[in-house]
Amino acid sequence: MIKITTGDSRPIFQQIVDDFRLRIVSGELAPHTKLPSVRALAMQLTVNPNTVAKAYGRLTAEGLIESRNRVGVFVCEPKSFLSDVERGRRLEEATERFVSAVAALGFSEDDILRRLADRLSELSLHEREP
Amino acid sequence: MTETVIETENLCKQFGRKAALWDVTLKVPRGGVHALIGSNGAGKSTLFRVLLGLTRPTSGQSRVLGVPSEELEPELRGRIGLVTEGHYLPEWMRVDRLVAMQRTQYRQWDEAAFRQVVEHFNVHTDQRVKQLSRGERAGVSLAMALAQRPELLILDEPTLGLDVVAKQIFLDSLLFVVEHDDCTLIYCSHQMDEVERVAETLTLMEKGRVMLEMPVDEVGQRISGWLVGLRPGLSLKGIPGLLSSRHLEDLTELVVLDADERLQEALQTLGAASTTQIPLSFERAINACLSGGPGLGPSDLTLPFPISRAS
Repeated sequence: MIKITTGDSRPIFQQIVDDFRLRIVSGELAPHTKLPSVRALAMQLTVNPNTVAKAYGRLTAEGLIESRNRVGVFVCEPKSFLSDVERGRRLEEATERFVSAVAALGFSEDDILRRLADRLSELSLHEREP
Repeated sequence: MTETVIETENLCKQFGRKAALWDVTLKVPRGGVHALIGSNGAGKSTLFRVLLGLTRPTSGQSRVLGVPSEELEPELRGRIGLVTEGHYLPEWMRVDRLVAMQRTQYRQWDEAAFRQVVEHFNVHTDQRVKQLSRGERAGVSLAMALAQRPELLILDEPTLGLDVVAKQIFLDSLLFVVEHDDCTLIYCSHQMDEVERVAETLTLMEKGRVMLEMPVDEVGQRISGWLVGLRPGLSLKGIPGLLSSRHLEDLTELVVLDADERLQEALQTLGAASTTQIPLSFERAINACLSGGPGLGPSDLTLPFPISRAS
């Protein structure tokens, strides 16, 4: 399950969002999987319930999870709520971050690309139908 | 019900020539967990004493739950809980007798809440306080404060000296309340990992002043670390938002608030050879504000204080 690192430079809600997003797009959490309640996850991680609620709110806004009345929170069927422009912008932004993080590490371009390709193939991504 | 649980205006408290509180203007909104952070002697305890009407400010005003601090009646005091470090309780008393006494003091006493928390800590109420471990005493103290059903609960270094297990139980009990009750928590701690987990907003005090207020999850965005190649001996005073600096061989590490293009311009002016942003943990970001770095006490900073207010 999720592990929270308090030494991380990302805020805790972001760690929860990132973790779930990765598990959902990689298929580890299949559509219709029930997620722990806000309270249960907060207790499990020893974090403020409002932090978990905020993370769930973000994931809901991204169309990855949905809350069904009184039943719980579930993983959605894959779909993209983001416009093509927004998807492109986010890809650009993430690439920028990645490149600046690895640029000074002294690996060759091939090394970096291979590592990236390996990780992506684990996710078995395919282009989504619009 | 008031929107703010704590409100102070230009609060000053002078001890001789030393200002324990200097122009403290604060608003703590109702609900949630608010961390108050500061080095020892930053003025936190004095602030609580003034807020609770235990000592008079030299100047300025403060209100708690909408009432001026100097006019707090017993009924209103009953709606404020206080858990302090050390968890001082009368050692010779049995826990159940102590609780029986507390119960008569508070109209809203919630026995179920008391039992639930105390059971977490595995305390038997026929034990004497003297026989309790430090963690168990913390549990009794927290349970009593929570059973009082406070609207405002002030926790001053509550987990200091507790072992990992007791700390965990303590935080679990606390978070349980956050979700269920309409209780506002003020959480003072030097344990940054706890603050990061538990608190939603944070207020940073140093040398009697409020230096910084911001939501906990914005700390990573607003406080950034930089490694810069600078000639030694340069004055760094002109760097906007500088919180701390230290020299690492031929590089200088800067921690900066709200870095923007003005930072880059200032570094260029100083003739910086290279500038790289480095990841900063929550703890390091906060410690940079507290320590002020070598030779850069908060009072020497070029920033106008207070820097910003949480909206």
